[in-house]
Amino acid sequence: MRIFLEQFLNGLTIGSFYALVALGYSMVYGVMKLINFAHGDLFALGSYLGYTVLVIGAGWITQVLGVWGGVAVALTAAMLGIGIAGLVVERIAYRPVYKAGRLPLVVSALGMSIFISNGIMAIWGPRFQAYPPDAIPSAILSFGDIKITVIKLVTLIVSLGLMALIYWMVEKTLFGAAVRATALDRDTATLMGIDFRKIIFFVFFVGPALGAMAGVFAGLNYGRIIFNLGWTYGLKAFTATILGGIGNIPGAMIGGLLLGVMESLFEGFVSGAWKSVFVFLVLIAILIVRPTGLIGEKVAEKV
Amino acid sequence: MADVTRKVTQRILNSQKSRKMPVKIAPVQLVLLAAVIVLLIAFPFFPFVNNYWIDVGFFVGIYVLLGLSLNIVLGEVGLFDLGHAAFYAIGAYTTGILYVKLHVPILALLPISAIVAGGFAYLVTSPIIHLRGDYLCIVTIGIGEIVRITALNNPFGLTNGPNGVTGIGNPDLGLFAIRTPTHFYYYIWVIIALVIIGLLNLQKSRVGRAWNFIREDEIAAEANGIDVRSYKLLAFVLGAALAGIAGNIYASKMMVISPDNFTFMESCLLFCIVLLGGLGSIPGNMLGAAAIVIFPEIFRQFASYKLLFFGAALVVMMIFRPGGIWPRRREGVGFRGLGISGLPKDENEFLLKIPKEAVLVPHGADPAQSTAVKAEVAQEKTINNIVLETQNVTMQFGGLVAVNHFDLKIREGKITSLIGPNGAGKTTLFNVITGIYRPTTGKVIFMGKDITGLKPHTIIAKGIARTFQNIRLFPSLTCIENVMSGPHCHAHSGTWSSILRLPVQKKEERKILEIASYRLNQVGLWEYRNELAKNLPYGKQRLLEIARALATSPKLLVLDEPSSGLNDKETEELMEFLKSLITEGFTLLLIEHDMNVVMGISDWVTVMDMGSKIAEGLPSEIYNNPRVIEAYLGKEE
Repeated sequence: MRIFLEQFLNGLTIGSFYALVALGYSMVYGVMKLINFAHGDLFALGSYLGYTVLVIGAGWITQVLGVWGGVAVALTAAMLGIGIAGLVVERIAYRPVYKAGRLPLVVSALGMSIFISNGIMAIWGPRFQAYPPDAIPSAILSFGDIKITVIKLVTLIVSLGLMALIYWMVEKTLFGAAVRATALDRDTATLMGIDFRKIIFFVFFVGPALGAMAGVFAGLNYGRIIFNLGWTYGLKAFTATILGGIGNIPGAMIGGLLLGVMESLFEGFVSGAWKSVFVFLVLIAILIVRPTGLIGEKVAEKV
Repeated sequence: MADVTRKVTQRILNSQKSRKMPVKIAPVQLVLLAAVIVLLIAFPFFPFVNNYWIDVGFFVGIYVLLGLSLNIVLGEVGLFDLGHAAFYAIGAYTTGILYVKLHVPILALLPISAIVAGGFAYLVTSPIIHLRGDYLCIVTIGIGEIVRITALNNPFGLTNGPNGVTGIGNPDLGLFAIRTPTHFYYYIWVIIALVIIGLLNLQKSRVGRAWNFIREDEIAAEANGIDVRSYKLLAFVLGAALAGIAGNIYASKMMVISPDNFTFMESCLLFCIVLLGGLGSIPGNMLGAAAIVIFPEIFRQFASYKLLFFGAALVVMMIFRPGGIWPRRREGVGFRGLGISGLPKDENEFLLKIPKEAVLVPHGADPAQSTAVKAEVAQEKTINNIVLETQNVTMQFGGLVAVNHFDLKIREGKITSLIGPNGAGKTTLFNVITGIYRPTTGKVIFMGKDITGLKPHTIIAKGIARTFQNIRLFPSLTCIENVMSGPHCHAHSGTWSSILRLPVQKKEERKILEIASYRLNQVGLWEYRNELAKNLPYGKQRLLEIARALATSPKLLVLDEPSSGLNDKETEELMEFLKSLITEGFTLLLIEHDMNVVMGISDWVTVMDMGSKIAEGLPSEIYNNPRVIEAYLGKEE
């Protein structure tokens, strides 16, 4: 039981990373019908930005603001920086290719992904980088014989809170309605006076910013990061997106959490080496039964 | 008859005035081709070329082969395959394991690897082939990862985990073993040459066109007689088999294979090769592969930056040349681009020489046999001249009843119109008749046979062709190619006879072109034959769709709002044209909103409202029927 609970909590944590990254995939996809392959690498870049802030700031930010202050600064800086990076990627790699159709966009996204991950390698080197230990909050809470690090708890609470916030924004506000309208039919939405640039700004800023947050949290939870982090996490998060139903905000969250928990439980009780195989098999099985994912609406094409 | 000939000649004269004849094979292209071949043959003998560069030439070859294999799936059919390295891996591991464990000769493993990879593709893709775009994409990524991780985990001690299979031998031809870089270089390029000849033949055949139809519009392809599912599976199997061959050659060259050779990144590279070159373009593919292999070699001294440049280059390429380096050209190539042998140089001459019986006799059947068939048809099928009958058809979507216990009878040689207010369920009924929907209850009887629940491509082969309310053409194919989808469902040539260009296949291809040309000319679009369908104005697109449906040689033609979007003059011409189809022996069912058309040409009118039949009768009867007026205009208080 203890192992189960611990694995479950681990799964929720890693699942919340997947979910945060998946949100970015899903938001961009919903509006642009583009799989933003560079998104996973923006997540990794976010992790590196957070790392850099903590390394540089270890001397003074942490001293002045405390460990948690340092974490907050790193998070803010990474989210802002990556949000802007997301906009830049959209501007230089996607906007000029929109008209050419979907496949060239995918190649452009793959190119951007390769560019960013190798850019990280060129700047920070090909080896693992350790988050500075004294910048990572080290408190541990115990519930009976279950121990959980405070940072894990914070990760979970903050991620879930943000997801709820995004959900509320997209589903309940007027701006969210504009986003959803654009996702359904961009031309009509534009004719109805919705400013498409604002929508683009929203999805390409907020999506990557959420990814960056997941990146910093990943660094804080696991302590070390590597340049191709984006490929592994990105692939899993993309899987989660599809699992839930792409273009669908709650789908991305549920897909991410579910994927994390499944993976973690399988790892704990069956085999770590085969966990990815298991995840993909589950995904394929689900898609055979529900071709548009768990909560994806059935899109019947009008004939 | 004389009148028809005069019209045809007139059109031909017009077309000669307005458009240049397609150019003959440009000598430039032949020279270029010869130069490339000479260059490839002479490459190992160039003074600066050492073994290292010969190996680079070999790896270009491997990626050309892989690119060509993915091009079948991604380029020709448009299936989003981002896990193609899986099939490459299956080929390589089949070779490695069977050689090391059972000492099967490498050359014997070449076909075996192809078969195993193709069979694997069939098994894994058949349950998921119906998935759309991005969903298929993630599943192929998943398959790629599953294969790689399985190899990594060393199941049953077969794959030797991360270290991979070692000690794989070289291909041995008995007297002569392929061993040096130069040997391998020629070995792979000879295979590539053979593969390319086969693929070019396949691309310009019934099979290749069917793939393109699916890529352009899956639903229209299915509704025009293409068995979408089978053709998609065929593409995956062929693509995988080719990748398996590449895997075999790679394994025998490197003598060691490991999971690192078959990562997701590898699949992405293959994807980029196809798009860099140009979708469905074989020369483009070769250029794309060369670019992917040689680019990092040039930047070798920048070691850790080379992929950085590479990523940026991909983006820049897509911005400035989204169609690829060498996209496949279709427009303005003329009939030459169709790859059909024995055509006269002058396309107009071809049109004039089309034997009428070639068009009117169902495709593939010889005239004697078809008379027998016709007699049989006349005897058993058209009881009371009823061609089509829907019996008590109901179509429900969730709680919504779109069609409610509907009975419809279509008489042979008549024009029946189905009218009703918007949302009455007319198009839904059409979709039930043509097999796009399966009715919740009820039966559809065509020529005395129950066709309920058959797939659209089967129904069209039985003789019901349709057009769509929102035009669904194959936009990036030429008009003639669009119409050539029609005879597809009556033709038989498969993959092998297309690759080998058997005489039967050549004859059949010519016949397909004859039927298509005849129908295209019949609707007055002959002069646009080599234009892309998407470039036609709206009204002409409608006509093209009708030509495409006619080319399936149907018994019953089902037209969904043929006059919508046409101006008065065009509508007038359309009415005349539809009437002329009746004299040619077709039966027509229309959905129509334009009452002038309905009243002007219909023999029988059925009125539908809220899914139910509210009236039927002669046009004049319907015109004054109070229930019909009420359905359209509301009740008078």
